[in-house]
Parts: sequence; structure tokens; C-alpha cells
Amino acid sequence: MIRVRGDDTRFDDAAPGDLAYALPGGPGVWAWDLEAGRLSGDARFASLYEVDPVEALTGLPGEVFFRNVHPDDALRLRIAVASVAHGAEVFNRDYRLIGRQGVRWLSARGRAHHDLERGARRFSGILIDISEQKRVEEQLRIAQTAGGVGTFEHVEGFGTVTVAAQFCRLLGLHVAPALPVRTINGLVHPDDPPLIGPAPTELATQLELRIRRADTGEERWLAVRGERQRDTEHAGFRFIGVIYDVTETKKTEAKLRELTRTLEARVEARTQERDRLWNASRDLFAVLDPDCTISSANPAWKRVLGLSDEELIGRRFHDLVHPLDMPLADIPWPAFDGAKEPRDFDVRLTAKDGGSRWINWTVIPLDQAYYAVGRDVTERKLLEEQLRQSQKMEAVGQLTGGLAHDFNNMLTGILGGLDMVSRRIDAGRLDEAGRYIDAASAAAKRAAALTHRLLAFSRRQPLAQRAVDVNVLVTSMQDLLTRTLGEQVELQVSLDQRLSPALSDPNQLENAILNLAINARDAMPDGGTLTIETANSELCGVPGDDESPRGEFVTVRVRDTGVGMPPEVLARVFDPFYTTKPLGQGTGLGLSMVYGFVRQTGGDVRITSEPDAGAVVELYLPKAHVEAVERPPPQAAGAPQGSGECILVVEDDEQVRMLVVDVLDELGYHVEAVGNAGEAVAILESSQRLDVMVSDIGLPGLSGRQLAEIAREARPKLPVLFMTGYAAAAAQPTGFLGPRMEMISKPFEPDALAYKIRRMVED
Amino acid sequence: MTTVLIVDDSKLARIVIGKAVAALEPEWRRLEAGGADEALTVLGQQPVDVVLLDFNMPGRNGLELAEELRARFPDMPIALATANLQDEVIGRARAAGAAFVPKPITEDGLRDFLSGAALHLRRIRSDL
Amino acid sequence: MTYETPLLTDLQVDALTELVNIGVSRAAASLRQMVGRQVVLSVPSIEVTSRRTAAALMTERELGPLVTVSQTFTGGFSGRAMLIFPEANSLALARAVTGDDLAPEELQDFEDEALRETGNVVLSNCLATMANMLRYPLEMSIPAVAREEASGLFGDDLGSTGGAVLFLYINFAVSDHDIRGYIALLMDLPSLAALRSVVSDFIVRVLEQPKSIRA
Repeated sequence: MIRVRGDDTRFDDAAPGDLAYALPGGPGVWAWDLEAGRLSGDARFASLYEVDPVEALTGLPGEVFFRNVHPDDALRLRIAVASVAHGAEVFNRDYRLIGRQGVRWLSARGRAHHDLERGARRFSGILIDISEQKRVEEQLRIAQTAGGVGTFEHVEGFGTVTVAAQFCRLLGLHVAPALPVRTINGLVHPDDPPLIGPAPTELATQLELRIRRADTGEERWLAVRGERQRDTEHAGFRFIGVIYDVTETKKTEAKLRELTRTLEARVEARTQERDRLWNASRDLFAVLDPDCTISSANPAWKRVLGLSDEELIGRRFHDLVHPLDMPLADIPWPAFDGAKEPRDFDVRLTAKDGGSRWINWTVIPLDQAYYAVGRDVTERKLLEEQLRQSQKMEAVGQLTGGLAHDFNNMLTGILGGLDMVSRRIDAGRLDEAGRYIDAASAAAKRAAALTHRLLAFSRRQPLAQRAVDVNVLVTSMQDLLTRTLGEQVELQVSLDQRLSPALSDPNQLENAILNLAINARDAMPDGGTLTIETANSELCGVPGDDESPRGEFVTVRVRDTGVGMPPEVLARVFDPFYTTKPLGQGTGLGLSMVYGFVRQTGGDVRITSEPDAGAVVELYLPKAHVEAVERPPPQAAGAPQGSGECILVVEDDEQVRMLVVDVLDELGYHVEAVGNAGEAVAILESSQRLDVMVSDIGLPGLSGRQLAEIAREARPKLPVLFMTGYAAAAAQPTGFLGPRMEMISKPFEPDALAYKIRRMVED
Repeated sequence: MTTVLIVDDSKLARIVIGKAVAALEPEWRRLEAGGADEALTVLGQQPVDVVLLDFNMPGRNGLELAEELRARFPDMPIALATANLQDEVIGRARAAGAAFVPKPITEDGLRDFLSGAALHLRRIRSDL
Repeated sequence: MTYETPLLTDLQVDALTELVNIGVSRAAASLRQMVGRQVVLSVPSIEVTSRRTAAALMTERELGPLVTVSQTFTGGFSGRAMLIFPEANSLALARAVTGDDLAPEELQDFEDEALRETGNVVLSNCLATMANMLRYPLEMSIPAVAREEASGLFGDDLGSTGGAVLFLYINFAVSDHDIRGYIALLMDLPSLAALRSVVSDFIVRVLEQPKSIRA
């Protein structure tokens, strides 16, 4: 049989009996007796052609077939029918019929039975209303054109494909109803699957492929969507589908892919850069687990410490820390809440060869890991140490003036003692020599103790942080400080007996306190009081400053009653090389060194001052997380001893009087003690030797100050030491005291009294 | 014994026609000629009862040969095989007393002619 | 290029299309008889164009060498009918039409003959049908087989006046064989004018005989 246009033209010949049937919406049946020129049809045919059904059954003139046919279609229809008479077997025509209800599309299909000798004999067929189909086809055509969708249909086994005009246009081919499979597939990119492929196993096809347009040679992307359906009249399959251009989508995709690809490349490059940094850095990089176990380390570890990955991975960071620096490493590591930027810290790490290097660490907690960067600061540490040493020597230099005087006195005591011994021996009074030997010996011991302190202070010692009992440290410094401050400046020490141990370097802390004391002294040219206090405290941090320390601290407060500082000076006191002192008297490094040292240990320094209102410097030292402090051995130096000098004690309180007498007696002084001013005056006006008068200010009758006036009448150079329980008086001693007058606040330490007396005696 | 002469310039066509003839009339002797002149030579050498002619041949075409043969052999069954089924051709063939066999040649297409020819030959022979 | 001047009216093109359709329907029926398989035809496309454009159209579709079977015709209108198919198909087509009649080695020798015979049957059927309907007898030459590239298909043997041709072609495909081809009718300008007049007569005849469909 013949198929034209792929249309299904198969139908059975309409038998005359069929004409009785009329199916609404179904096909009408007609038969044409060509010999008689009569056309007959069933009721459906009559309905479509709007003729009388009875007449249609009995027969109508053949011309009825062309009646009311749309003029544009009439000729084509006539030609087609004429063709049948000339041997065309198949008749197949779509045409419009103008009826009372309007125009409708009909499809007439028929078959002629020919006799070679006589031409067509029998011609019959069916008639279908295809108005709806035409409408849908038109919609489809518009949709295809508008949507750029080209349909195709391929019956398996055939070399050509029935295609829509849009299909041809998408491939850049001339519009044709059928195209060879090879032609279509020949346009497809060699790397892509054929558009019309071999029968696939699955029924639905979804492809994307590139084609080279036949007209322009341009490469385009097409999407192919289709379905294989079992062909009803053929054993094989019918592949029905559509193609549409997806080049723009593909371009966008490609652009995205390119972006992604280059992103990968960029990331790779960045990673390479970072790898290079990781590998080439002289700084130590490490990634650590939350328990401080090293999980990754860069090659710098090998270069700086000689430690390879095998010796690092899996080890705890703390195992590498120099034992002396363990307390530093034990400072709680930054939390993983990411709330604050961690501060750096310096610890020594033990190298493979047994040596150690100072490493400055910055640790950042992130994603349940510590990222640690360590810089070798060993060289810097050495320089710092040298600088600290020079600072210390500068302080020692400042001490020297006062100390030389002390030494002279001590030497005088020794030399004088020896001279006396010599004289007694010459005079054969050997029994009296012992006294002078003792006195000389005591003076020598004091000199030794002082020298010892000085040496201890100036000794070069490396920075080592450990738990320090600050009270002990301050107490041990008292002697040195007293001498440093001079007579016009009174030192008061107030220690918190429940003070926690601090994490610090005792040597450096001593240096810091000494520096502060010297500064305070210099701020009090007319004398004053220097107070050193210790206390436990807590810092809440400075709002807005994440780096400001917070937590529990041990505070050392150094307060002076000096000239104070205006705000502009206060703002710069921690700047290195900033100094208000005349050229040659200070390096300006004092406070900045103090600040640097304290900050380095995790503490803070605060200073408050106003002009003419003194200054307060507070050192906040981090609390050491240890149970007990290893106390340094007690200092050998005791209170300065007397050497038989005569001291008049005026004190109405009998218990105080007794204590003072006992202390001075023990120290080696000769003591005359009285309970009131009258008795005192009698002694003052006598010829008895008196080296110092110690008097309470608040005496019954004559006040201590009045007594002093009387005393100066008789003995103008007699030093006077006032004792007072009034803090206010003690706070402003300058206007109250005359020359060679001193004051000591009650209660006082016996040693403090000893120092005071000693100094007054020696002056 | 009946002898049939198949005249066609295409050897392939002669094979195809020969097979169809053999299928329908296995007893017949088959002769072949590649053109009009060769056909006349064969006819001059031996008796031929039936002639099958291809219309489209170089030189004289089948129709011309049929007209000539009809003049020489008024009773001989002659068939003209052609795909050229123009009314003119069919009309001329009919005028020359030749049967019309449409190409492509099939057994069905040949059957009517061959059975008619066999009947005709039997009648002539019985008349003799 | 396509000629702007309408050498044929729409109605003439319609009529001619229908005639060709009938002709090739007959031809396809013949072919079907020869190959014993289903044959699919496209609706004929008729275009007045240059030979170059016609060749380009074929080049676009067929990449490899082609085999043509041509038959010239003269009479009321003249031209050349061609059966065109890819050379790669030719042996398959020859095998299809000869069926089991030939051994493979014989087939090699008879390939051209088989193609010529096929062309003859197809083209003669087509042309004869048209001639009958147009009532203008045609003389047809013996078919000739040629092998050429698509670009050289429509050579200038149509004469110096053959600047434009009526390029009429139709695709056909044979089921279950990778066999496809084209039937083309080529006519030069003078033949075209003759054809126009012949087709006009046909139209008039069809329209003047409303009472009978016997042409």
C-alpha cells in the first residue's frame, strides 16, 4: 500500500450496507459510481454536506461533491478527483465546505479500483469533520513557530524523517516535509549522539546536542525530546519528538561552568599561595586540637626547632614548652566562642638539640581547632634582657648617691670601732675591746647586707615567670627603697595578708617597683610619702576594648604625694623614651618598660594623677593558678643596728613607751625614756649625751612639737622623730616638720623605726 | 513444444521475465534477444511461437518491432511490456494486436497473457 | 536564487503538484512492487529556481556521491526526469529489486542494470501518468545511469537557455532498508512556458466538465 505524507490512509472499502449507519462526529461514508456519475452517502455524509439523507442514500449527481466547497479549495478537489479517473489509486483531500453553520474543514479519503482497460470503476471512501483538528494544528503550528519548537516523526527503518518547517529552520535547512536521517545526523557534532538514533531501550528520549547549521555553519545547541510509540501499521516503532534551541541556556551554563572552573583555578592558585606561605614561612604554624594536641605543623618547626612532623603530630603543645615557662603556657587558652581576639604570649620551646627558643605565639580558636602562629623572638628577648639590665643599672646608678653615704657611715662605724679597739688594746684594756669589735662587726654586717641586696638587684637574670608572693617581695625591698627614697620621702607599706600569688618575674617586678619608687621620689622634690599597697582585685575589662585584661589580679599600688601630672603628660607616660626629666637624668624607658613587662605577663598598668595631687600607679599582675608559692629564702639583712647612741624617748603611753625602749635597746642604743614633757626638758637641759629625741606628738601639757622647740633651744642640731597616730598629720608632714625632724605613723614596724632612727643618728 | 522469445535490452530483465515464464509455463522453451535486430535474427533461424517485447529499447523500440512482427506473423501472440502506460502507447499496442503487460513484470501481470497465448496456440494447432 | 517572476500561478502550481503527486504515487506503487516493501513519499515540492540553487539544496541534504537514473522526455513539454539516490544505497536498492534472483557476485555485475530498470519503471510510470492526464503524449529516452556529486547534479546539458529550472522533487524512503532517494523533474525556461500552457489547458478541462469526472 502507499502512504502519502505519513498520513494514515488505510481504511476498508465502504460497502453499500455501511451507508445506513450514521455516527454523529464519526466518519461519513460515500461511494461514487463513476460510470453512472452518481454519488451516494450515509446520513453522516448527508449531514456534513447538508443534503437530504434519503436522497443521499438513493444517489445524488456527482457534482454535489463540489457544491459549497470553498473557492480556494474547489479546483484542487476537482483535480484530485480527476486524477482518480487517470489511475491515481488513493484519493486524499482536505478542503473547506461552506455550510449554514459556517465553514468547516473536511477530510475526504477514498480509494479507486481500477481496470487497466476501462479506467476507474469504483471509487468510495469516508468523510471526516476535521475542523477541530485543523484548529489544533493551527495552534500547534503557531506554537511551534512562536516557541521555536520543531516537530519530527521517524518510522523506524526508514531513511527519512517527516519534519515540520520549524524543524528545518532550526537546522538551517531549506524547508522540506521530509529530510534524510543522514542529513540530520550529519549536522550533529561528532562527539554528540545522533539526533535520530538507533532504537533505544527506553521509550522516552531526552537529549542535548550540538549541531552546525547548514546555512550559516554556526554551532547551536538543541534539545531533543521525544517518545517512541509502537507503530500501529508497522511492526516497529515510530519516534515522535520535538527539537528546540537551547544555545542561550547552554551558553549561560557554560559561562557558569567557566566561572566555577576559574573559581576552582583561583581557589587552587590561592591554595598554592597559602601552601607556599605555609611551607616557606619562617614563623611556626600549627593547627591544634582543642586539647592542644598538634595535628598539623609547617616546615618552619624543623628549621627553628629541628622538630619534624613525626616528632610533632599527636604531641601536646605543652610538652614542648620549657619547664620554667609552663605557668605561662598554662594561661587558659582562648575560648571557642570567638568572642575576643586572643592576646599573644611568649614561651620558650625546647628544641631537638636540647636548647630552647623564645617563641611569641598568637593562638586563634576557630571551628574546634586552634590555629597557632609562633615567631622566633629569641633575639628580641636577648635585646630586651640587655635593655632591662641597662634599666636596672640606671636605677642602681640612681641609688648610688644615697648608698655611698650609707657606706661611709658603715665604714665609719667599722673604722671607728677598729680604732677604738686598737686604742683599748694599746691601753691594755682588753675587756673593753669586745664592745667595739661588736659594733664594727655590726656595721660591717649591715654593709654586707646592703651590698648583697644591691648585687642581687643588679645581677643579670633571665626573665622567668613564676608564681610570686608579692608581699614577700615588697617587704624584702623595703630597705633598698628606704635608702633610695631619701629622708624627705617616707615609705609606707600596706600589705594584704590574704594576697594571692601573682604570675610574674620577681626580678622584673622588683625592677618595676623600684622604677616607680624612683619616679615617685623625683615627683616629690620637697619630700612626701610613698605608699606601696598590695591587694587582690578583679578587672572587668574596659568596655569596647577586647584586649583589655579581665579577671582576677594581684594589685601593687604605688602612691605618691608629689607634683602629679597634667592629662597631656598622663596620656604619654607609657610611651617609650618619653620623659619629663632633664636631659641625662632618665632614659624615659622606665614606665614603658614597666608597662611592657606587665602587659607581657597578661597584666595591666593603670595610672591616675592630677597636678599637685600626686599620682597612683597600679600594677595588675595576673593571679597565679598554683596552690602554694615557693617562698624565697628570708633575706639576711636585718634592721640597722645602733651603736650605743643615746636616745631620749618621750611617750605618755606606757606600753608604747616600753616597746619603743625595748626595740631601741635591742638594736644597740642607749635609751632614756620619760612619760611627759617636763621630765624630757630636764634631760634636754642637762649635759647628758643625746643623739636623737623620739617624741609622741600628742603629749599631755606641752605638745611634741612644742617640746621640740624647747629642745632646739638647748641642742639646736638634735634630730627629732615624731610619732603620731594621726594619719592626717602624717600625710602633710612638710609644713609641720622643721629641719632634721621626721615623723613615723603609728602603728609602725620595729624595723621601720630602726631605719628612721638609724638615719637620723647617722645624719 | 512451445518456444517463447524474450526481447529486452536488459539481461536482468530477461532473467526476471524468464523466471516468471518458467514459473507459469515450465514446459516452454525460452529464447532471449537483447534487441530488435537480434530478435529478427533469432526468428529467421528457428520457429518461435510467442514473443515478449520490452517497449523501451535502444534502436527500434518494442512497439515498432511488434508492428513489424504482426505483419510477418499475423497469428503470433505478442506482448509489449512497459512502464510507459501512456494512452498513446497502449492504443498503438492494441492496434498492432499486441497485449499490454505493465512493468515491473510479475507473474500476476504475465499470467493472463501467457494462458491466453497457450489457448490461442492450441486452437491454431488443432485447426492445422 | 529563486526567481521572483512567477512563471506559474498558484493555481498552476497546485494543479502541477497534484499531477506529480499522482504520477509519483503510481511510481511508488511500481517501486513497491519491485522491492516488496512499504515506500513512503513526501508531498512534492515545486520550485522555479536556478540550477545552482537546486544543486545546493541537494548538497545540503546529501553529502556523499550520488547515483542518478535520468530519462529525457519530449513532447507537449520537455525536460529531464531523474531518480536520485546516495551511491551508498545503490547496491541495497539493486538487491531489493532483484530479490533472490541473483547471487551476490552476479549482483555486482547487474547493479547498474538493476538501477536503470528501476529508474525506468519509476520514471516512466510517473511521466506516463502525467502525460495521460495532461493529454500530451511524451517521447521518453532510454534511461541512463550516472554517478556524480550533488553539486554537479544538474549540469548544463539542458542547453544555453537553462538558466532557470522547474525543480520538482520528492523524497522517497523504503522501509527496512536504508534506501532513500529523490525524484526530480528539470525543465528549462522554454519547456516551462510550454508546460504552463499545457497545465492551463488541463485546468480549463477539469473545470469545464463538472458533470463528469471522466477526464
